[in-house]
Amino acid sequence: MKITRRAMTAVLASLGAQAQTPARPALTAEITAGPEAELQSAREQVRANVTALSQFEIPMSTEPAFEFKA
Amino acid sequence: MAEVGDLFFAAIPELNRLLVSREISAVELARAVAARLQSLGPRYNALALLLEPQAIRSAKAVDADLKRGRTRGPLQGIPYGAKDLLSFAGQLTTWGAKPYAGQVFDHDAAVISRLTGVGSVLVGKLSTVELAGGGGYRYATASLQGPGLNPWDRTRWSGGSSSGPAAAVAAGLVPFAIGSETSGSIVTPASYCGVTALRPTYGLVSRYGAMALSWTLDKVGPFARSAEDCGLILHEIAGSDSRDPGSADKNFYYAPQFARPVKDLRAGFAVVDFSAWAEPAARPVFEAALAVLQESGLQLVAAKLPEFPYDQVISTVIGAEEASVFESLIRSPQVDQLGDAIQIAGLKANLDIPATAYLKAMRIRRLIQEQFRELFTGVDALVAPGRMGIATPVAEPLDSDRPGPVPQDPGMSDLIPAANLAGLPALVLPCGFAEGLPVALQVVGPPFSENLLLAIGREFQQRTDWHRRRPPGT
Repeated sequence: MKITRRAMTAVLASLGAQAQTPARPALTAEITAGPEAELQSAREQVRANVTALSQFEIPMSTEPAFEFKA
Repeated sequence: MAEVGDLFFAAIPELNRLLVSREISAVELARAVAARLQSLGPRYNALALLLEPQAIRSAKAVDADLKRGRTRGPLQGIPYGAKDLLSFAGQLTTWGAKPYAGQVFDHDAAVISRLTGVGSVLVGKLSTVELAGGGGYRYATASLQGPGLNPWDRTRWSGGSSSGPAAAVAAGLVPFAIGSETSGSIVTPASYCGVTALRPTYGLVSRYGAMALSWTLDKVGPFARSAEDCGLILHEIAGSDSRDPGSADKNFYYAPQFARPVKDLRAGFAVVDFSAWAEPAARPVFEAALAVLQESGLQLVAAKLPEFPYDQVISTVIGAEEASVFESLIRSPQVDQLGDAIQIAGLKANLDIPATAYLKAMRIRRLIQEQFRELFTGVDALVAPGRMGIATPVAEPLDSDRPGPVPQDPGMSDLIPAANLAGLPALVLPCGFAEGLPVALQVVGPPFSENLLLAIGREFQQRTDWHRRRPPGT
């Protein structure tokens, strides 16, 4: 690849024009249930995960995947 | 004579050749990339902070070195961007989140220090989903910089949470970028934007100076033009770091000359991923990509993921760890300044996760690791879609139900959480287009198998040119 400095200058000059781009697409209004309802839903999900994990049987001897070393 | 536009899509070895032969100076290259990033970055909401003065200073030092014949390797003088959860001393590091919009650190992230040490030129910080999306998020707008827009179609999401890195590399705004993944944040945007990217083994790249979302899951990795470029970058950014408690204390040497021949390798895959989980428009693209892998000599064999409740395990690990990391934020009014209602609710709810649940998740995680070790005695790698389809519309909720029936056989649809829980590396390979948008494969290997993954990637990219395609208007 060989590039002339004149070509480089021309491209840099054109970047100013390209910067005037169309606005980003309009987003539809975000739909939320309200903060309290969202928090309730999130807490229910946490409880569901906790229940699912508690019901998943594993050997008693299984240790967590981290170690403490003095 | 090449077009200047070719410069912005050139791979690292080509850029390095131009710099070493003095056909272009590091300052000229840094100026050109900075100008392009400044001009076009906002088009995709990819730019968080331009660092042009700092980049020019670094580039001048590179030019002085090159003039004296002091070469430091292929990344010398190469401009790049860094996800805005990596600290750069004295400059804003916002984590994509309003409560941290004015945050400044006094130290560089380890990955940035390493790249500076080999003469790479940081030209800008790139956008991220707020707090790397840990609490969950419903809309792509969950970022200080706005929704990441896909360079292939700006009505589509770039993916996240490494939205800026993926879009910036895809659009030729930077030759490479550094992103991160806790669970999906490299694989997803790389797949959606059609960019080659590498999620390293947990602990191979230092997390020092990277925002902690989940200490035991966070990984830092490159987005680049090719598998080869990813290997060159990983060679420089990997390594032991006593400042990162999760450091694997291992180095990585990119050694393609010593890689096992691809024809000697076996890769496991699940037929159902490509025949039923994949969106219909993507299926022929994936089928063709698998055929290319087979032509390269890679033996594809049927494989299954070990059966575990991956979603519940990863949600609990991330949730408990991030709730601890961000406890002071969550208990303060500032948490309500975050952009996404689901993120706010998720962070608050995660304070409720009992320690026993976190410990159970971490115990299951040990079993997941053991089962993957067993799986990898029969295959060298796993191959699956990076994402099952194309980038979603920006305006659409990210938790929308999947269209069509859910296949009964899970296949490897849980590969992202499963592989992250086991700390496994993944290489994302763009493999074609469906409905005009990129799709990609992910190749996952055992811990520290990056050279093997990169060998498969190089072979695939020698036979295809999907990784060299340019979005319209770039």
